[in-house]
Amino acid sequence: MWASAESTVRSFSAMNDLVVTAASLVTETDLSSSRLGPRSSRLDLASRLALLAVESLASKFDTVPRDRIAICLAATAGSLSTDVEYWKGWALVGGPSPTLFAYTLPSAAIGEIAIRHRLTGPNLCFVGRDAELLAEARDLLYRGEADGCVCVSCNIITAEAAELIQSSPVITASAVFVTAGGEGHRV
Amino acid sequence: MTTHSLPPVAIAGCGAICAVGSGVEALKSALRDNASGLHPSERFDHQRYQSSVVGAVARNGAGADDDDPAWSFATEALRQASEEARDILESIPPERIGLVLSTTKANVEAMERLTDQRPCSESARRHLQGDLLAADLAAAFGASGPVQCVSLACVSGLLALQQGVKLIQRGVADAVLVVGVDHLSAFVVAGFSALKALDPLGCRPFDRDRCGLSPGEAGAATVLVRSATVSITVATNFRYSAVATIPSPPLEERVRERRPFPAVVIRGWGSSNDANHMTGPSRDGAGLALAIRSALNSAQLQPEAIDWVNAHGTATPYNDAMEFQALRNVFGASCPPFNGFKGMVGHTLGAAGVLETILCALAMKERLLPGTPRLKTHADGAPASLVQVPRSASRLDHVLKLNVGFGGINGALILGYE
Repeated sequence: MWASAESTVRSFSAMNDLVVTAASLVTETDLSSSRLGPRSSRLDLASRLALLAVESLASKFDTVPRDRIAICLAATAGSLSTDVEYWKGWALVGGPSPTLFAYTLPSAAIGEIAIRHRLTGPNLCFVGRDAELLAEARDLLYRGEADGCVCVSCNIITAEAAELIQSSPVITASAVFVTAGGEGHRV
Repeated sequence: MTTHSLPPVAIAGCGAICAVGSGVEALKSALRDNASGLHPSERFDHQRYQSSVVGAVARNGAGADDDDPAWSFATEALRQASEEARDILESIPPERIGLVLSTTKANVEAMERLTDQRPCSESARRHLQGDLLAADLAAAFGASGPVQCVSLACVSGLLALQQGVKLIQRGVADAVLVVGVDHLSAFVVAGFSALKALDPLGCRPFDRDRCGLSPGEAGAATVLVRSATVSITVATNFRYSAVATIPSPPLEERVRERRPFPAVVIRGWGSSNDANHMTGPSRDGAGLALAIRSALNSAQLQPEAIDWVNAHGTATPYNDAMEFQALRNVFGASCPPFNGFKGMVGHTLGAAGVLETILCALAMKERLLPGTPRLKTHADGAPASLVQVPRSASRLDHVLKLNVGFGGINGALILGYE
């Protein structure tokens, strides 16, 4: 990394601005008309919404090798809404669901996005607001760790989770696909 | 175009509390003795769980009913790490000190308590959210610079260390406290039990008879600072404008002066995704191999330069076999010595990457090639370089640290000396 600084600076200078090539915003009501396939019914709400948000960006992924596309996600309140659903199983005969356990991680949606779109590049996930996502995407591109980055913001706080953390419910997800060049909106 | 290089980042302080004790001396002792801190726990009885064997922190008296163990473990680890690096931290303005928290479940204890209608403090409830836990830890330790909460399954710790380095190299902090924490909970143990992923006898990484993991808990912290051996020429058009203001030579001189030996630095990293399965590793090891190659590339090293690999080693049959394959993919027939630490401390989830990196750094300073606690019989297919018991090492210049996690995530970090 250090020895190749000149080339990284050169490439970074050439991409002074990130280019957003596609963007989307979805809510829970969009799920009813979605075509994510039968597998999606096994996923938690956050993963389904994240997949749906990314779905409309997918046509742009062909512009970059799949192993050079990173996924950066920010999850408000982490996986708390899924945690609440999973933990309901504690009181049931047989205990909590092993399937749902895999989704009690804030980063679970990254795995689903990677599987669906065969994206094998670097991953990053923050718990909290999405303010840092574009900065981190820029860093990944600048350092040459990736050539494109899917940035996903999941704001999933169900009513039960909201009660737990004394917050307000919200269920939305948004996504952008950014590259270092090409056509799109510069940020 | 003016050239520039990014500053290497050194580990200036470490702290940990885990199944083998509290403090780096306890860790060093466990490394030398190849000790295991895994024991049966009454809290996780066989009636309800697949295994009662866990890597628990010793909790006595009032600590046994702690409603905020994530906070307790993290603050203890940070206290130790900050103490070791006190002279450096005291010379840095608070707004130039950042904090990165690594956790998978933060203080999930609060959710169990609130659901059961047991007593739970407001702070414990607040720390259900990792970002708020991170903010409170930063405030408590005088870090008013950038704060992040990284959560990427069992790779969280390595990615948090990576983020700490990036914040320093981007010039938005001069020091970053990186702390990993997760605590044992019915929530997590029941989940792994439901997946039939626990070894009733306690985990046996890379063993022929391995059959599952053992959950653990820990707080682990490092203080990252710019390394002493920095030579920077800054490009005038570098986007991160704050970088143009570094370095402040006295800081690097202090890093050098306070040590009788070179500091351990983070040389490079890589991450990837299998894009294959949510809970199982890809059988061909291609994803982990990609992460390793990315790390080698970022550190400008060839595979032959790696002197020791600290593998993830969960002790599940498929994970360990996948790691063997990934090591073969990268190193061929010349696999460096490798080991696993989870027989010592358990699988500490969000803390694992930080705790195991600290163990690596301590072993490097001790010139010790650590063993693999609880390993008895080498697994079929294991490269012959698997290390069972500790031995002295003639050279540990470059160490490769691996973690993998749910969601197909792979991480690799390379440590070296400044």
